[in-house]
Amino acid sequence: MLAPAVTLIGVFVLLPMLLTVWLSFQDWSTQTPFSDAGFIGLGNFREIFGPTSVGRDFKTALLNTAIYTTLSVILILPLSVVFGLLVYQREVAGGTTLRTVLFSTYMVPMIAVALVWSKLYSPSEGPLNQLLGLVGIGPQPWLSSPRSALVSIVFLNVWQQVGYFTVLAIAGLTQIPGSLYEAATLDGANRREQFRFITLPLLRRTLLFSAVIAIINAVQVFEPVALITQGGPVGSTNVLTYHIRRVGIERAQGGLGSAMAVMLMLSLIVCVSALFAFVNRKDSSE
Amino acid sequence: MSAATRSLARRRPSGRKALVATLMLLVAVASAFPLAWMVLSSLKTPAETMQVPPVWIPRTPTLEAYEKVAGVINVGRSMWNSLVIATITTAGILVTSMMAGYAFAKYSFAGRSLLFSLLIATMFLPPIVTLIPLYRMVGSLGLNASLAGIIMPNLANAFGIFLMRQFIAGVPDDLIDAARMDGASELLILFKIVAPSVAPAIAALALFAFVYHWNSYLWPLTVLQGNADAYPIVISLSRLLSYNRGAVNTGLVMAGATLAVLPPLVLFVFLQRFFVDSIVGSAIKG
Repeated sequence: MLAPAVTLIGVFVLLPMLLTVWLSFQDWSTQTPFSDAGFIGLGNFREIFGPTSVGRDFKTALLNTAIYTTLSVILILPLSVVFGLLVYQREVAGGTTLRTVLFSTYMVPMIAVALVWSKLYSPSEGPLNQLLGLVGIGPQPWLSSPRSALVSIVFLNVWQQVGYFTVLAIAGLTQIPGSLYEAATLDGANRREQFRFITLPLLRRTLLFSAVIAIINAVQVFEPVALITQGGPVGSTNVLTYHIRRVGIERAQGGLGSAMAVMLMLSLIVCVSALFAFVNRKDSSE
Repeated sequence: MSAATRSLARRRPSGRKALVATLMLLVAVASAFPLAWMVLSSLKTPAETMQVPPVWIPRTPTLEAYEKVAGVINVGRSMWNSLVIATITTAGILVTSMMAGYAFAKYSFAGRSLLFSLLIATMFLPPIVTLIPLYRMVGSLGLNASLAGIIMPNLANAFGIFLMRQFIAGVPDDLIDAARMDGASELLILFKIVAPSVAPAIAALALFAFVYHWNSYLWPLTVLQGNADAYPIVISLSRLLSYNRGAVNTGLVMAGATLAVLPPLVLFVFLQRFFVDSIVGSAIKG
């Protein structure tokens, strides 16, 4: 029963993961067999953190990915709770329809999202600057300026993903017993206090899960960069998934690319562990 | 409706409701706008797509752009490739996930929870981490530039195993034991007795897998290395953009994006109940 799944995941996920770790310590070109790899210790890591262009590009990509991921998470989580409350409330009809509309964007291939948003962002004939003009805000450069390109990609990511996290938030909201709110009302707690002292604390587990998934999803950003910005302008949208593929596949520097992939894996482990530790500490302090 | 909601609704019913309704409408419009713009732009004439300020509704809707798409990329072939990739991958995932999910839910054996944790951990591994060695491995199997190379590494995944285990665990043991008494084989029990009782979860997994692999871009792009005959629609789309940069091709790109978005979106609209239930189910039970 287990053999097919375990074999496939073992061969096509776990084995390559171990190979990535092994290759990170090797001098190896992706165009040659694994047997041609030569051990160089920490050479690849020294280079990707070094002062040469390899090191500069990697550090930029790492920083860009960190910024992109952080911005995505701090936009997605609060929005998912607000949207979740809008879907979950029963005062105004249409919650289910709103959920459908929000979640539908999650079905759209990222490549189509990138294409459509590149046209929405178009400085002259695009509709976004036109809409901003209506409320008195001047035209924005969006994807064409190093200052705003990465944030512009964050926006399209949030637009695509927030529906999925809204559904997760709704799942969390349905778990909160209505009796808690009734008791709080009897005690004279107003809506804001109820949200602060009941809804948010009881959503903590859901939000932790959402944060982990949002982080994992965010580091995978590839299509908008590969298709629209190619990492530019001036490296401002060069993110890790794009950079690792360019180094490890296109330039065939398999050892260097693997060292970068290992650093990505380590960063993720550190971030996710820190998140869990943070939430667990709050759990035990209450 | 909770007591809190009732008491507040009594205090200032119309103001609150109007605020909630307005917010809901704004969120829905913002969420739907990019896709609406995509479809509308695909129906514009080339002149209209370049107009400043932008034209919102095409004055004389035309399918010109769709005809042009068919002239630049082989739409039929690409859609067929996407269908083959998504269907075979989904079928594989269903079989391997059901088998492994059944084993993890209903068998007890030494190392079960360790093996399960190890497999589930791969769910949180971004694909870029394994991309470089996997590319080499699939290449040495002689599967680069082929559909088989895209499909093979994806025939099992942790999410499917996790989802199936969650739902199969809820199937009564008595049902399974009774079938064993009758001398049914384990595979027969799984597919004839267990599967029907978790049909909604199977449907959800099928839809998720299908949409995910229809939309998938990074791995096919890496494996195919320019073999246009095997391009799925999402990769053919990227050729529309490079075909003619700038505003001239807006209609073309939008028409192509519309074509690629339609299959996953239509599936979702008709079967969204399964998607939402399974996310809620896996998040709560997990």
